[in-house]
Amino acid sequence: MAKRFLALCRQAPYGNALAREGLEAVLAASALEQVPDLLFCGDGVFQLLPEQSPAGIEQKSLQRNLQALPVFGIETAYVCERSLAQRGLDLGMLASGGPELRPVSDTGKLIAGYHSVLNF
Amino acid sequence: MKFSLAVYSAPHSSQSAASALRFARALLAEGHELHRVFFYCDGVHNGSALAAPPQDEPDLLGAWQALQAEHGLDLVVCIAAAQRRGVLSESEARRLERPAANLAEGFELAGLGQLADAVAQSDRLVTFGG
Repeated sequence: MAKRFLALCRQAPYGNALAREGLEAVLAASALEQVPDLLFCGDGVFQLLPEQSPAGIEQKSLQRNLQALPVFGIETAYVCERSLAQRGLDLGMLASGGPELRPVSDTGKLIAGYHSVLNF
Repeated sequence: MKFSLAVYSAPHSSQSAASALRFARALLAEGHELHRVFFYCDGVHNGSALAAPPQDEPDLLGAWQALQAEHGLDLVVCIAAAQRRGVLSESEARRLERPAANLAEGFELAGLGQLADAVAQSDRLVTFGG
């Protein structure tokens, strides 16, 4: 049986290359039929905000990568409820068009259920 | 136990690149297996042959190469992250029409599939940096 693994997306979308390179790693693994589950937590929840316009800082938008996730077999993604609340956000404010977002209150318990975690 | 490491930090910038090396040494000394070290994001700079730290500072590149030679380690530098940051093999430098190659001996360029494979093949994946 394949080992279940989780990709943790912790970085705001444009301050650190790890946000983009993390999603690229997720897409690459999925293309090889090793589809991870995804958890957005900490500043990573900012990746999910709609109407990002990073062209102003000469960056490519991450939203195309996020919207591609269902095509690669990632139809749902977990979002840390507490991270949202700490940043004044709620599920209804996040972008649609990507994976279905599922709120999680106990992220520690979720993470403990996986064999491996890719930390981005 | 079978380990793989993911290294996201450039050498000589943060402690985590050096910690990865020390952790690799320690697990091998304890008799564990090191399946692969995958250098990603700024970690690709660990595979640059051009690093020349002062003599009274640790030589991380030389240390990785020595460990690789001793244990036959699989030191993989992510090709996409390396292209962005200018860590190129001879063939990549030719293909991308760049004036020089700098991928150090003992390291190889490969795709992100090698990270997914490391997760699948290893009992533990330990990430340094990021």
